[in-house]
Amino acid sequence: MTTTLEKPARAEADENLLKPLYRINGNEHAYEVRVELPGVPKSGVSIDLEDNILTIRGKRAAGVPDGWKTLHSEIPALDFLLRLRLNTPVDEESLKAVVENGVLSVHLPVKEAARPRRIEIQ
Amino acid sequence: MKITRFNPSLNLGRVADFDQWLRNPFAAFPLMGQLLGDFAPAFTSGRPATDVHEDKDNYYACFELPGVKKEDLKVEIHDRLLNVSAERKEKNGEQESSLTLCRSISVPEGVNAEGISARLEDGILVVTLPKQEHRKPKLIEIA
Repeated sequence: MTTTLEKPARAEADENLLKPLYRINGNEHAYEVRVELPGVPKSGVSIDLEDNILTIRGKRAAGVPDGWKTLHSEIPALDFLLRLRLNTPVDEESLKAVVENGVLSVHLPVKEAARPRRIEIQ
Repeated sequence: MKITRFNPSLNLGRVADFDQWLRNPFAAFPLMGQLLGDFAPAFTSGRPATDVHEDKDNYYACFELPGVKKEDLKVEIHDRLLNVSAERKEKNGEQESSLTLCRSISVPEGVNAEGISARLEDGILVVTLPKQEHRKPKLIEIA
């Protein structure tokens, strides 16, 4: 089996964006990309698929409220960007995405023609 | 499995990525990350990133807990130690995996333990710790 999704297509030029943690699972029918986008509401997520490049952007909800003084900080206040190049054709029409508890799941069904076929031995 | 060449200059050049490296040292090695992923959910560390803020009425402790459901989360206060523990369950086809996340932070003196509240939204837990009356800044009237 070859990995369907490779490293980002090109080095990211945008300095102020964070590459989210992500994981890919899949079988011959579909791939599932799970991207951690903590602090990003559903309305802040955008997904694009163009020229076999899947681009996921996550915009965090408004930062620290006015009047709050930060005493300790580990959570970066950066928005997220992830680009993945797909090396298997996927069925764009039936692409599905769900955001739940700060995790985006993108379901990418592999195009029928690209699925492996079992050949019956006569 | 296809082997791609590892190019560190692409991955370790930026501060943001370095920060990410601290959180997930295998992120720069996609292949290894994926191999490990077969055995353990390696894509988030067990120690969630935490911010602490204050305003005049409260302290606020924020924890990054993506993928954690409210029912799998426990927040406790014990002897000025705020403990957050969570279990993240994940389904990959028939396989199920889980990851335990926990973090303890010490709470400043003068917190009203009875009034502590917590809210989980978009993978971020915010614990609000109200300051006791005598810890709040007082405005002194000028006569």
